[in-house]
Amino acid sequence: MMKNIIELILSIGKVDRRWIFLVIGLAVLLPLFFPLGLPIRATNATQRVYDAVEELAPNSKVLVSFEYGPSTKPEIHPMAIAILRHLFTNNQKVYVTCLWPDGQFMAEDALTEIAEQEFGLTYGEDYVLLGFRPGNEAVVKGIVSNLRKLYTTDARGTLVDQIPMMTNVNKVKDFDFIFSASAGYPGTIEWVQYAADPTGVPMSTGTTSIQVNDVMPYVQSGQVKGILAGMPGAAEYEALIGSPGIGTSGMDAQSIAHLVIVIFIVFGNITYFIETRRAKKY
Amino acid sequence: MVIGAWISVFLTLAIFSYLYKDNPFYKVAEHVFVGISTGYWTSMFFWTQIQPNLFGRLWPATEYDASSLWYKLYNVFGVFSSVFPGGGIAKGHDMDLIYLVPFALGIMMLLSVSSKLSWMARWGIAYTVGMAAGLRAYGFLNSNVLGQIKGSAFQLVNSNLPYFALVGESIFNNFVILIGTITGLMYFYFSREHTGNFGKLTKVGIYFLMVSFGASFGFAVMGRISLLIGRFVDLIYYSSSDFNYATLWILLIMIILLGYAAFMDKSASAEPPSQ
Repeated sequence: MMKNIIELILSIGKVDRRWIFLVIGLAVLLPLFFPLGLPIRATNATQRVYDAVEELAPNSKVLVSFEYGPSTKPEIHPMAIAILRHLFTNNQKVYVTCLWPDGQFMAEDALTEIAEQEFGLTYGEDYVLLGFRPGNEAVVKGIVSNLRKLYTTDARGTLVDQIPMMTNVNKVKDFDFIFSASAGYPGTIEWVQYAADPTGVPMSTGTTSIQVNDVMPYVQSGQVKGILAGMPGAAEYEALIGSPGIGTSGMDAQSIAHLVIVIFIVFGNITYFIETRRAKKY
Repeated sequence: MVIGAWISVFLTLAIFSYLYKDNPFYKVAEHVFVGISTGYWTSMFFWTQIQPNLFGRLWPATEYDASSLWYKLYNVFGVFSSVFPGGGIAKGHDMDLIYLVPFALGIMMLLSVSSKLSWMARWGIAYTVGMAAGLRAYGFLNSNVLGQIKGSAFQLVNSNLPYFALVGESIFNNFVILIGTITGLMYFYFSREHTGNFGKLTKVGIYFLMVSFGASFGFAVMGRISLLIGRFVDLIYYSSSDFNYATLWILLIMIILLGYAAFMDKSASAEPPSQ
């Protein structure tokens, strides 16, 4: 009996990797068709982002930076949508910049969906899309010292001087809060290093899962007020603002897929130890 | 809209097909991605920075004077009217000829394609490297060194904190941070051999690093699964009748063609070589 189980485990360990891809694919696909409704609880890091936004007085100036593209859209876009929804619900003024060229498309998508269609807000009075500027951290540094030197026009080609909500907005210190929706370099770390830390303007962030370990030290030390960590972070934020969206709908699939991967890792390790022991024996 | 959906589905499934094996569908998607990305980035860089912020400062509309030599030169470029519109470039800038320096450095960088003049590219690269190094040195010193030291300097035994908490601040977690920071730093001290008591402490540091790497791996998996969910959500959306069942048709055609190719490969390898 035991011998048969060991042989079965060994045969699973030798299975063609394409079967593993198929199982992972099904583990992700099936919960999307048949949702389980697993509970979502906000972590401390997500709660801190929510609290930081809640603490802002109405009509505060919030700089939201889009640093992601289509390749990381499933992780970051839901949190960008949730943050915009929260900011507009609280009547904040939103200024959008992009450190990534494709971030401008993402920002246009998000603003059309939330600001225009859902809230019916006025461009230039309630929100503005300043757009993309190349230069990575030099752009952040430029926004810190003199935003108007870098942005003379917005993404639609309108002169910044002609946009009503740009009155008295000249540098980062004129903002009350920064939120960076970031998928890598340039992104959150550059905003911390060149904007938030030197000027003292509070900031929060939403990042891809891969970045979380790099950004977490800034959150622990209080340099960043909370972090939305990947798709689960977005789902938790959606739960906090009471508006389930794309993040929430993907969480069942995320949980099941993780369970399957853990099972594969356990099987892989058992196989490894059995084979090592056999090799020593013979 | 429908055509866009079909293209999106084809490219997604073509990339996924690599999981089976390398094939022409994957190659097509890969090449299209590289080409379109390059074109998109180039045009974005040009129209958001070079045209408004460089040319716009060299030939601003506010100081346009058709009789001046500088603007006569501008009018020569006027054949490219979308880049150099008549009457100067109106992007809200004043004239600033210092921007001729980055303009020249940029052109020098492009000369790297010429074997005789490629040495000039080094000047542009040297400027960029120097500027980036200076910027980064300040950022890292302020945020990563001073900011992190400040963040780690907390009261170890704070009577307001609980003794133990799984998440959030606690006295136990303070000790974990203290031990992890000190032993982790010790591991990167290479002026002394990692033996004896010092070696034992550095081993503790390695365990902390291992936990960090494990968390990174977990987050990496989570990120990849999120991206897969995103693609699957789109594929499901495009499989509806609104998009003429794009996902189902393309998936079926791909499976048939890849299956046929595999069958032909098998038949060809099974045939004995002709004499």
